[in-house]
Amino acid sequence: MKRFFLVLLMALVLSSLMAQISLPREETVYIAGALWGPATTWNLYAPQSTWGTDQFLFIPAFQYDLGKDAWIPFIAERYEFLDDVTLRIYIRPEAKWSDGVPITAEDFVYALELSKELGVGPGVGWDNYIEYVKAIDTRTVEFKAKTEPLNYFQFLSYSLGAQPMPKHVLEKIRAQMNIKDWINDKPDEQVVSGPYKLYHYDPNMVVYQRIDNWWGKGIFGLPRPKYIAHVIYKDNPSSSLALERGDVDWAGLFIPSVWELWEKKNLPVGTWYSKAPYFLPDGVGFVYINNTKPGLNDPVVRKAIAYAVPYDEMLKKAYFGYGSQAHPSMVIDLFEPNKQYIDYTLAIAMWGTKDGRIPTSLEMANKILDEAGYKKGRDGVRVAPDGTKLGPYTISVPYGWTDWMMMCEMIAKNLKEIGIEVRTEFPDFSVWADRMTKGTFDLIISWSVGPSFDHPFNIYRFVLDKRLSAPVGEVTWAGDWERYENDEVLELLDKAVSTLDPEVRKNAYFKIQRIIYRDMPSVPAFYTAHWYEFSEKYWINWPTEKNPFWFRPAPWHVDTLPTLFGISSKNNPQPVPSWLETTERGGLGIPTAKIFEDIQKAAK
Amino acid sequence: MASRSAVKYILRRLIFLFITYVVATTIVFILPRAIPGNPLSQILSNLSRVAQSNPEAIRAAEKNLMEEFGLGKPWYLQYVEFIGKALKGDLGTSITYYPRKVMDLIVPVIPWTLVLILPATIVAWILGNSLGALAAYRRNTWIDKGVLTGSLVVSQIPYYWLGMIFIFFFGVKLGWLPVQGAYSQGTIPDLSWAFFMDALKHYILPFLSIVVSAMGGWAIGMRLMVIYELGSDYANFSEYIGMKDKRIFRYVFRNSLLPQVTGLALSLGSVLGGALITEIVFNYPGTGYLLFKALTTLDYPLIQGVFVILIASVYLANFIVDFVYALIDPRIRIGQEE
Repeated sequence: MKRFFLVLLMALVLSSLMAQISLPREETVYIAGALWGPATTWNLYAPQSTWGTDQFLFIPAFQYDLGKDAWIPFIAERYEFLDDVTLRIYIRPEAKWSDGVPITAEDFVYALELSKELGVGPGVGWDNYIEYVKAIDTRTVEFKAKTEPLNYFQFLSYSLGAQPMPKHVLEKIRAQMNIKDWINDKPDEQVVSGPYKLYHYDPNMVVYQRIDNWWGKGIFGLPRPKYIAHVIYKDNPSSSLALERGDVDWAGLFIPSVWELWEKKNLPVGTWYSKAPYFLPDGVGFVYINNTKPGLNDPVVRKAIAYAVPYDEMLKKAYFGYGSQAHPSMVIDLFEPNKQYIDYTLAIAMWGTKDGRIPTSLEMANKILDEAGYKKGRDGVRVAPDGTKLGPYTISVPYGWTDWMMMCEMIAKNLKEIGIEVRTEFPDFSVWADRMTKGTFDLIISWSVGPSFDHPFNIYRFVLDKRLSAPVGEVTWAGDWERYENDEVLELLDKAVSTLDPEVRKNAYFKIQRIIYRDMPSVPAFYTAHWYEFSEKYWINWPTEKNPFWFRPAPWHVDTLPTLFGISSKNNPQPVPSWLETTERGGLGIPTAKIFEDIQKAAK
Repeated sequence: MASRSAVKYILRRLIFLFITYVVATTIVFILPRAIPGNPLSQILSNLSRVAQSNPEAIRAAEKNLMEEFGLGKPWYLQYVEFIGKALKGDLGTSITYYPRKVMDLIVPVIPWTLVLILPATIVAWILGNSLGALAAYRRNTWIDKGVLTGSLVVSQIPYYWLGMIFIFFFGVKLGWLPVQGAYSQGTIPDLSWAFFMDALKHYILPFLSIVVSAMGGWAIGMRLMVIYELGSDYANFSEYIGMKDKRIFRYVFRNSLLPQVTGLALSLGSVLGGALITEIVFNYPGTGYLLFKALTTLDYPLIQGVFVILIASVYLANFIVDFVYALIDPRIRIGQEE
């Protein structure tokens, strides 16, 4: 107790010794929606670093640009393929740590080797796809892909996206302590590669300050805000209130009826689209159906459920129109480059709609259940020929997720009408998550993965790859929550990522779609929203549909940094930097297609 | 001997406190674990969304965390470890805010809670008791009726509800006072006059919401006590021998205060509980707010840590009041000496 009061006294004295600082409003971007509790650590060798560490402090060799499907050379200057599995990246001569020490190839090697050793850290898991990473000289790093299994997407995203870490700092820390316990919260001692570093933090706020002599200044310019400050609000309503009042400039929040902010209240607030769906897609929301439960293990029943989901109605009523119905192929077809991966002919033939989306049709649902011999009992619940009764099942989401709770109610109601008895259940998040990851649920609504460099491989893998799963009762967060098992899918997935021929890849995806429509492992229901709002009270030129310079503009997203290079202070409008364009249009972004071409050339 | 009996008294109190403390911390250990659910859910679900294309990373993190927190071990081993470390002053590492130590998370927020709770409780106690005594002294006048009715109404209002009403009127409708946080957004705490004034502005509403709703209870209690004492033999006798009213009242007031002191000690505990919600309503960065975060994510070590400290401070308050009591009440002192 005595010790405790001593600490307390010290804390009081120390906090009073801090210098007086008040952030200049015009030079500060205030943020909400990316941090909901006290800061943790600014060390990436921890399972969860504080927001900002991965976003602004440590940047990668190449930054992936989702909108243009291109790679912007950040710390790297260029790449070279020696053959189809060996890649060299060349570090910019200007690249320096914030303490002035040059960034070298050793920093890349050290960062990845340490992640491998600790099982946590930047690029952890790289050794599943990369045979070795080594320093050729101080400015050249070489990566060699594993050929068994060969996965070009993972190989490229781990190597191009590699983040170097300051070896000279980490070595010293490791000599003193367990690196996992390192908080790295002293602004003076932070050594970073990005244009920001920590300035101040307390239980209320985390502030980053721009490094005005950042090494990349001559190449990229500087991000526009001098300070970025995240106030830790208690909940969604208080954060959105702050946005309304102009106290927050940049937010990543779910706000009910967001359009009212500018249509009714005339506030200088906006989202990506000024009309529905307002937000970019962030991923696919699924109605996961447990493939191991009696009744639900029949593909006919799962298909009937897919017909019974009231897609349009629930998106409009429960989700404020913030998303649209997902394509049953699981491919996010709102991004143009993804459309080539959908077999539209098959989808249209299968589901009978214009673009092959599943229609909400209780009639069809009833028809296929009737045909499969499911007869309605006196209580209106169907029974299979073998006596399995379709219910009672539960459909659940965490308590408080009001939009998804309402969706559950609407789905349950429709399922009841087709003779499947489903009750809604809304437990606490951790209880719900436990059931989801252990595979003990019946039906749940949950997220999957989003648009990315390796889409749709990433979503097929997440939803269908049993190698990511675990037996029922054992926790898995990695994927395949519904416990779907199909070896054919695994073969096709491996084929899609180990080929350099776009046609072979496309064909593999088409075959997977055929399997999905046959088995309906779970129902791809809607695109979840990439929550992102901005206020133009102090800052302008935010990325939007009409100013689309960056497609991952949410403050919480790990790829968001370029957003800060494109916005301007209201008093000092600046153009969006040209390096954000692709090489074909005078910028720095190297299209993914060009990278694959280069691999093919190197193979010959 | 006075000193020997005092030592015996202190020892007895200490042993009793220690036993109840162990029981209380045991309950705090068991309760969160009785909730079905996994404390790693929050951190892993965040990870699974950040590292979406990187399932290997999630696998590794999951394994890592299970080992790190010893969650795979049987509960009794976890308990022994918790008690052993707690005795050494180590409250462990938070799960949700890993790798931060529970102590490091709690210490910076404690001053805020103390600054809010202590003055508010004491001011409410002084104001409430004075009003109650005044009402009893002027019994059946308009003052008495006013105080009694007002107190009855106010004492039934929960702190946080009053807080919300204050936010609505003074913050939203009238716009006089800030409604959330302990100081303005964008300022960094220091010892300057400007900061002090800013913090004071933010302090008024949460402070008032506690003072106003706590005051009523004290006033009612004090009024009853004074009336009771006024009817006692010594008061009647004093009146009989012609002592001045004011002098009698002073005696009566001092005697009536005794149970109120015990009440203060107990209420320091319950006010801490009540302030939890006040802090959440006002987004005030105190222990209550932290506990709220810990509970919603099932962060076992953090929940335990906050409670271990809360319980300790309640006990400490009680312990101190016990002595104050002995000081102000000669009967206790003498009784112990005999």
